[in-house]
Formats: sequence, structure tokens, C-alpha cells
Amino acid sequence: MRTPSLLFVYGTLLVALVFQLFPWSSKGVIARPDFMLVVLLYWFFRAPHLCNIGTAWIAGALVDLATGSLLGQHALAFTLIAYLAISFQRRLVLFNAFQLLFFTFGLLTLNRLTILILKLFSGNELPNLHYFWPVITGVILLQVMQFALGKITQPTSNKAD
Amino acid sequence: MLKGVHQKLEPQQTPAFFVHGASPFSRMVLFCALSITLMAVDAKLNYLSQVRQAFIGGLHPIERIADIPSEFIRDASRYFSVHNELVQENYILKQQAFEHAIKLQRLNTLQVENDHLRSLLGGVIPIHPKAILGDISHTGRDPFRNVVIINRGSRHNIQAGQAVVDAKGVLGQVTRVYPFSSEVTLITDKNLSIPVQVERNQLRAIAFGQSGNTLDIPYLPTNVDIKIGDKLVTSGIDGIYPAGLAVATVTKIDQDPKSPFAKIISTPTAKVSHHLQLLILELPESKEAQIPLPDTDNALQKPTEQEVQPNAHP
Repeated sequence: MRTPSLLFVYGTLLVALVFQLFPWSSKGVIARPDFMLVVLLYWFFRAPHLCNIGTAWIAGALVDLATGSLLGQHALAFTLIAYLAISFQRRLVLFNAFQLLFFTFGLLTLNRLTILILKLFSGNELPNLHYFWPVITGVILLQVMQFALGKITQPTSNKAD
Repeated sequence: MLKGVHQKLEPQQTPAFFVHGASPFSRMVLFCALSITLMAVDAKLNYLSQVRQAFIGGLHPIERIADIPSEFIRDASRYFSVHNELVQENYILKQQAFEHAIKLQRLNTLQVENDHLRSLLGGVIPIHPKAILGDISHTGRDPFRNVVIINRGSRHNIQAGQAVVDAKGVLGQVTRVYPFSSEVTLITDKNLSIPVQVERNQLRAIAFGQSGNTLDIPYLPTNVDIKIGDKLVTSGIDGIYPAGLAVATVTKIDQDPKSPFAKIISTPTAKVSHHLQLLILELPESKEAQIPLPDTDNALQKPTEQEVQPNAHP
């Protein structure tokens, strides 16, 4: 596994933004994963020197601008998640696949909860439980990303040598 | 010396164990503060609407790319629609056109007669607004808001505050305008209200958007003369929606004698999810163009009338 280039990281983030912009029909929008956050999480875990809290904040602000929600909501949520993800990043090599799965599940749930609280403060109604579907699809998406772009948990030194 | 050694180690092998620079906690605090400031600025001041407009304008090419798959599927399914269906549809449409043509003949005479009578009475002749045809490009991406995005924007002279209708009735109001697209808030959105009139008895009221794709008419007395099935049309007193457009049908009334107000729920007649075309009506030119209604006996003067255009002309 080679170190990904900065350009590659930003490329995947741009692709995530395009996916976020897909015109999802009413059924699909329920289960749409938070593409941007999942891609960010992948890079937090794998290459925190290329993708850090600042990147998360900018990506969150872009999502806010693109989706038309109050500017700063996603930025704040992504910043908090980035902080948690990065502070646990060094421990990730000790995690097995299941632990990583639960960790991402927790982070994605926390992201949804943060946005929910911010939305409620700005005068929106309480949604039903469908609101949390993207957490599950997000976890699946992260597994797909690991499959496509390389695993997070495996310590590389063992594999390379 | 130490610095030199450090530089040699700099190109890291994955996974990066040591992140340089400020500690994650201080970064987190800084960016949280930034986002909270942004939220406050965006919610309370209108400085950022231009930034948003420019960004969405710049994003237009990417949006077009994102739209390609769904457009392709739509076109393909249209291509494969059965010949029979088309013939049938054509037949129905012709029939409808015929019926409408007959009605229109009468309408023209009535219009002339109406204008004549109004001029005799010294009334102002209502102006019929011009309209622009638009397509729904997608429903909004924010699941919390009842909005659709249409493919007409400031390049097509769309302004915030314009009323949007479809063949069945009023859909909503343009709330944000971007260069190539604009955002239409539906009448069922919690933040939108629309002045209506009961078609049967001309009773005027204001309908508010409610969750679950319905409209709510609060503050009407328990003994109000509204029945299930009553049609609500726009009253035109706001000067944005032209008078007489269908808005909703009353579907549920809860007249509890203990409560001072009746609970009236109605369902919009416009069908957002059923078709793609809609009309964006032009805003009235000036205050004089607002249509004065002849009967002001049972006018409901409400303090909430300002809310009719929440985001218009910020």
C-alpha cells in the first residue's frame, strides 16, 4: 500500500461531492449515505497528514452550500467527527475489522445526531427514524471503499515485509 | 543537526503516526468556533446569499454531470414507452383540449363582460400575470425542507418571491435564486403560509404548511362554515398569488366544542411528484397592480400576513 497523493485525496472528495449532488428520487434519498463524510473518514484513518480537521471543515461548508442548508451545520458536525476520528487514529492499527465497523457506526450516528440537534435549533421538525438509515449505508460504503482503495486496519509493515 | 535528521524522515510511510502542526483539540476548537460564527452570520444576516449564489452558479457544470444518469434513465424509459399508451394519451389530451376550447370560448365572452362591468363600476381590471415555463430538476437535497429545484434562474429573470403553479394548483414560491436554477419552497413547508379563500362561501383565511404534506388553517372559530371537500383557492390579497388559483381541498375537520378554534386540515391539489413541468408567475409590477377585492366584509385581518413571503426581497 503506497501513500496516496494529495491530488488523489482531493479527487475522491470531489467525486463524493458529485455523488452528494445526485438528484436522488424520494425513495433513494432516505438511504443516501453521507458520501462526503464517509470519504473523509476513510482518509482520516488512512492518511491524516493529508486530510485533517481543516479539510473536514471546508468539505462540510461545501456540502452546506451545495445542499442549501444553513451554512456551517455540516461544517460543525464534520469538524467534531474529524476530531474524534483523528484522536483515535493511532489506535486504529490495533482494531480488527469489526471494531472499526462499530467505530465508524458510532461516528456516523454522532454526525447525524449533531446535524439533527442543529436543525432542531434552527426551527425544523423532528424527523422519523428513517433519518438514521444513512448511517447503515455509510458503514457499508466504507467497507466498499476499503475493498476498492485498500484496507485501513492492516498494519502495512507486516504486509510489506 | 536535529533539524536535518527530521527533514530526512519527513516523507512518511503509511499509516502516518505523527501528525504535525497544531494539536487536534485546538484545531477542533478553532473550526467549531468558525462554523458557529458562520451559522450565526448565515441565519441572522444576509451577507452570505451572494456567496451561495456564486457557488451554486460555479457548481452548475458538476450538477449537470450528476444529473446525466437520471436524465438518461428518464429518456430511455420514455423511449420504450409503449405505442398504445401514447395513442391513448393523445386521444385523452385531444378530448381535453376540445373541452377546454369550448370552455375558453365562454371564458373570453365572460372576460370581456367582466371587464366591461368592472369598468362600469369603476373597479380596477385585474392583470393576468405572465408566466415562465420551468422543469423540476430534482427535489431538494436537504431532507428537512420541502423544496424542489427548478431549472430556471436569475439568467431567466426569475426573482425570489414569485409564485409557482402547476396544472392542478399552486405549488409554492421561489425562495432562493441561483444563476441557472432556483429553489421553490412548497406550500406544505412549515415556513410558508398562503392566503386562501373558501370557494363555496368566499371565507378568507390563511393556510400554513404542515408536516405530512398537508396544510393547516388555524385561528378559525369552532363554528366556522367549512365542510370536508371544500375547495380552497388563493384570495389574491397578498399581491403575489393571483386570485382564484386552486390551493387545497379540505380533508379533515376537528370541531371540538371545548377548543376555541377548529382544527382544519387540507391536502394540496398540486401534485409535485407527478410531473415535471411547472409555471413561474411573474411578480406584480407595483403595489397598484395588487388586485383589490370587491367584498371586504368578512376580511380576516391577521397579524401573520407578513409571513406570506418569508424570503422574498431580503
